[in-house]
Amino acid sequence: MSKRTDSNSYTMIFAIIMVLVVGSLLAFMASSLKPNIDENKRIEKQQNILYALGVNENEGTSANFISTDVAGAAFSEYITKQIEVQGGKEVENSDAYLIDIKKQQTLAKQGKQRRLPLFVGKNKNGDVLYVAPIRGKGLWDAIWGYVALDENMIVQGAYFDHKGETPGLGANIKQRYFMDDFIGEHLLDASGNFKGITVAKGNNDPKNNDKTDYEVDAIAGATITGDGVSAMIKSDLKLYVDYFKTLKQ
Amino acid sequence: MEHLELFFKSIFIDNMVFATFLGMCSYLAVSKKVTTAVGLGAAVIFVLAVTVPLNWLLDQYLLQEGALVWLDPKYGVDGSETLDLSFLSFIMFIATIATMVQLVEIVVEKFSPSLYNSLGIFLPLIAVNCAILGGSLFMQSREIPSLGLALTYGVGSGIGWFLAILAIAAIREKIRYSSVPPALRGLGITFIITGLMAIGFMSFGGMLTGGDEDTKEKTTEAASLIKLESSSESTDKQITTEIAEKEDTNVVAENIKETEN
Amino acid sequence: MALLSKKDAKLITDPLTDNNPITIQVLGICSALAITAELQASIVMSVSVLFVLGLGNVVISLMRNIIPSKIRIIVQLIVVATLVIIVDLVLKAFAYELSKTLSVFVGLIITNCIIMGRFEAFALGNGPWKSFLDGIGNSLGYAVILIIVGFFRELLGSGTLLGIQVLGDPIEKTGLYSIGYENNGFMLLSPMALIVVGLIIWVQRSRNQALIEEN
Repeated sequence: MSKRTDSNSYTMIFAIIMVLVVGSLLAFMASSLKPNIDENKRIEKQQNILYALGVNENEGTSANFISTDVAGAAFSEYITKQIEVQGGKEVENSDAYLIDIKKQQTLAKQGKQRRLPLFVGKNKNGDVLYVAPIRGKGLWDAIWGYVALDENMIVQGAYFDHKGETPGLGANIKQRYFMDDFIGEHLLDASGNFKGITVAKGNNDPKNNDKTDYEVDAIAGATITGDGVSAMIKSDLKLYVDYFKTLKQ
Repeated sequence: MEHLELFFKSIFIDNMVFATFLGMCSYLAVSKKVTTAVGLGAAVIFVLAVTVPLNWLLDQYLLQEGALVWLDPKYGVDGSETLDLSFLSFIMFIATIATMVQLVEIVVEKFSPSLYNSLGIFLPLIAVNCAILGGSLFMQSREIPSLGLALTYGVGSGIGWFLAILAIAAIREKIRYSSVPPALRGLGITFIITGLMAIGFMSFGGMLTGGDEDTKEKTTEAASLIKLESSSESTDKQITTEIAEKEDTNVVAENIKETEN
Repeated sequence: MALLSKKDAKLITDPLTDNNPITIQVLGICSALAITAELQASIVMSVSVLFVLGLGNVVISLMRNIIPSKIRIIVQLIVVATLVIIVDLVLKAFAYELSKTLSVFVGLIITNCIIMGRFEAFALGNGPWKSFLDGIGNSLGYAVILIIVGFFRELLGSGTLLGIQVLGDPIEKTGLYSIGYENNGFMLLSPMALIVVGLIIWVQRSRNQALIEEN
């Protein structure tokens, strides 16, 4: 290293230039790519919601979304109404699926009123289903998903995703075998009280034949992620119980 | 109380080395002697104790979505132009850490030149130590709610890491006098021992720390069952029949009820 | 005419065995433990490290005469972080599915000590072409270990390889499972990765006595 690179003033100038270069490079890239990225995210949300509804191209044991070019059309076809739930009442909002759940949860934590989006749609058989977004914490980072319910709050479809769970372990909440286990599970007990679903270990029901035990078999090596799934189902879907009660009236 | 809980949780249950395997490189390389291990461990505790709270402040008032609300309400979470600078988290956290490490380097060089020499490249490498960055990133993703808790978390994680490197260094010093197969000597046996220690630390994962609503409900249910069982005999029989019914042995239950009558 | 001189070729072959970044240089351990529960993840991570280390080594090597010595660690970190973030942004915009698979690894790559270690040990003191080769060599050495560990962990832990059941179906009890074989769930947990690497070191040093440490 030459003497020049050791002096303090050189270090300062270099640091400042570096910060400016890196900062502007990243800001430029982020803002110019933002429209593409936002569009990709929007289509992904549509694919996720449709997946939970059962509108997908699942083959064998792998989970496949319908392709991005038909996602928009399929979304308009299968989602009949998008609403926000307030108290027991509903307010229509055709962009409800774009509501940022993370933001809503932050608002709720600060004691403010949060928005509760719900997507009313039909599956391929024409049954009316309600898809609710959920969000929570896994082992390393955030996890989220969509759960499709019928009017008795029985799960008809589920999709889970994560930001940074371990591949082969926590990341397997995205696998067919885990998500499919939730289909048919009850959330409410016989008296209509909310019980939630627990991702449980030591389950004597690995094929998940019992749908009223409020349990789903856990993934080996992914305890904390599984607990995160149980927690987010409980905390988020509970918020919609009042609305579902009004549906029965 | 939650400080104490978080403190013990970060040392034993979420131990940086054994639970999340962060900071392995320096952990493996500097654990040949207990004295250097102690020196590095102390440095890590200090750096974590300072950087986690500092980065918490950065996250709270600059990086989080809506954090800049103190500058202008419209930047807040429910404002019109919510600003989310979290994509800068990595770089800002790294900058804080690197600056702190530079400071530590200067202090160590001044007060203990021998330690400075024996640590060598690993002192500045604390800046890259995934444990330090991991500490800040976990603080962010687990949404630690207050500055005090961030400090507790930083100190606890540091102590956890310190404990790990102290333990392995002590074992390595002793193992020099055992007959380890030559090809396993040094690094190989250290890996295996660390693996075994990690398995041991997994036992702490079973410790319930306060627990959530679910476990409280279950424990009160169990407690009430036990209470009922210890009361009069007739109610005893009643309880056993109830439990038998629940387990779908209806025939047996009916028999017991009949004998009582 | 040979494509690479003997010395240059050594830059690629040395890290594959005698100077392996994980088993000899003791770098990159964290990621070797964290993501090797699945063979596919090991492969994806190896390719990502190959890209970042190769390119990063070149960038640092080109900058080596102008980086101030006092802040060189920070500068190296920022170079890696910027590279990785740019790759992540470009993938998110044009290959969204792929970016979702890689998003898990972004943090792990930035803090991967192999990258910093090679910057310090090589790129800061050598020209761009040699640094590029050094980057490739070390990434390949890293990949070898990751793939071996990933192979055993996934096979013994879930009975699959690259997601495909190869030992039979554990729930339907076909294949090996019909004679009572059970997946060793322990292999999916990180401590076993440590032990597997320890065993790899054992094998490596038994074959090459020169690598054995003095007492």
